Amino acid sequence: MISVTPKKLSEHRVKLDLNNLSPEQVALEIKNLDLYYGNKQALQNISMSIPKGQVTAFIGPSGCGKSTLLRCINRMNDLVDICKITGEINLNGENIYDRHTDVAALRRKVGMVFQRPNPFPKSIYENVVYGLRITGVNNRRVLDEAVEKALRSAALWNEVKDRLHESALGLSGGQQQRLVIARAIAIEPEVLLLDEPTSALDPISTLTIEELINDLKKQFTVVIVTHNMQQAARVSDQTAFMYMGDLIEYSDTNTLFTTPAKKKTEDYITGRYG
Amino acid sequence: MDNLNIGRHISGQFNEDLERIMNHVMHMGGLVEKQLADALTSVCDADEALAKKVLNNDYLINNAEVTIDDECTRIIAKRQPAAGDLRLVMAIVKTITDLERIGDEAGKIANVTLESLSGKHKDLLSNLDNLGRHVLTFLQATLDAFTRMDVEAAIKVHKNDDKIDREYEALMRQLMTYMMEDPRSIPQVMSVIWSARALERIGDRCQNICEYIIYFVKGKSVRHTTPEDFESLS
Repeated sequence: MISVTPKKLSEHRVKLDLNNLSPEQVALEIKNLDLYYGNKQALQNISMSIPKGQVTAFIGPSGCGKSTLLRCINRMNDLVDICKITGEINLNGENIYDRHTDVAALRRKVGMVFQRPNPFPKSIYENVVYGLRITGVNNRRVLDEAVEKALRSAALWNEVKDRLHESALGLSGGQQQRLVIARAIAIEPEVLLLDEPTSALDPISTLTIEELINDLKKQFTVVIVTHNMQQAARVSDQTAFMYMGDLIEYSDTNTLFTTPAKKKTEDYITGRYG
Repeated sequence: MDNLNIGRHISGQFNEDLERIMNHVMHMGGLVEKQLADALTSVCDADEALAKKVLNNDYLINNAEVTIDDECTRIIAKRQPAAGDLRLVMAIVKTITDLERIGDEAGKIANVTLESLSGKHKDLLSNLDNLGRHVLTFLQATLDAFTRMDVEAAIKVHKNDDKIDREYEALMRQLMTYMMEDPRSIPQVMSVIWSARALERIGDRCQNICEYIIYFVKGKSVRHTTPEDFESLS
């Protein structure tokens, strides 16, 4: 009789050990990050590794620091005068808070999409090529190809291919948000930051964007901040729960939403917070 | 009830929904327990009326299962429960399936009462009664553990299923001896065997419920694991 020991189903699942990622697996490494707005500390000693080619979600109540942390990743907080940051965020092994970092170059590598769609009052085409034009690309053929590629990646091409030169402001909210994503990915960043990208959209547009996020992770590392916990559960591979500036728990999404290790996490995701 | 930690949701409506479902499960557990007790009494006292009552009342358990199932579906659709709440709803959905099947097993036992057992084989029934009383105690302990979501109690009850299995095997050997000694008794002995089998299956279903309790509290699935894996939980 042949004896076969079946593998447990859980052994087939690929689960990253977030504490022991190899350098090739890491897209971003945040080390001992503290952030102060004046005297108020908004982030406290955050350390985490964000894996490449995956979707990482930040969740937590309002004011917990999740958007602040996201904005740190492409130095958006530099624009806030009273903001002081210590610690490191390493992108490809280089600290983005190093004195010699070219912030404009950093933001080309780390694209960002905000809560409300913010297309420029230009044509759909010009919106997508905006970043490329800034970097000096003006060859019509290159731009045409980039527009088609970005709009296809953003799942918008079929809807707008016949009206590329019409105003972007004539698009629906969901289409505008996908256009903004296309604009962000046209310059082929390494990391895409999404700050509550669907909170101003209807449920169908939300699902389209979520489907898009799933496709985008094949090309980019995606970091998303969301208030919608079900959305984090649906779209992300890893989830970080933050509370009052602390990173409370960071683990793979399946574990965090079924068997969280910390009571604070359990209370928040089961609606017992407050 | 406090172990369940149901009552601290921001949404009072969600608290009420979960509490109502838990109350329904406890009520269903009570019904199942009564059905099993009545089935055992009917078989030992040869009380046909009581056996018919058990068979007639099976629909109450079926209805309870459908109602609780609907409520759980509604909670999943409306509340999208996560973590402990999700595990509770899943544990309930699985528990009521096992409770309903225990109800069916009680019905099988009641059916034996309606078969004609000659006086000669009365002592067969006394053995069935012993096994039955043990299984009933086992079911009660399981329902107690479920009500309190008590992992220690669930582990203890889970381990005790071995005793029932051993008792079942001893009874089977005895029944086979009867059949060998007097082949004419085979039809009657077979009825007793079906009942003993039903009791043994009830023990297994109680074990399943204990596993759901452990899943809810510890977040670990202990189904199909070895006794060594189980030890690490206590």
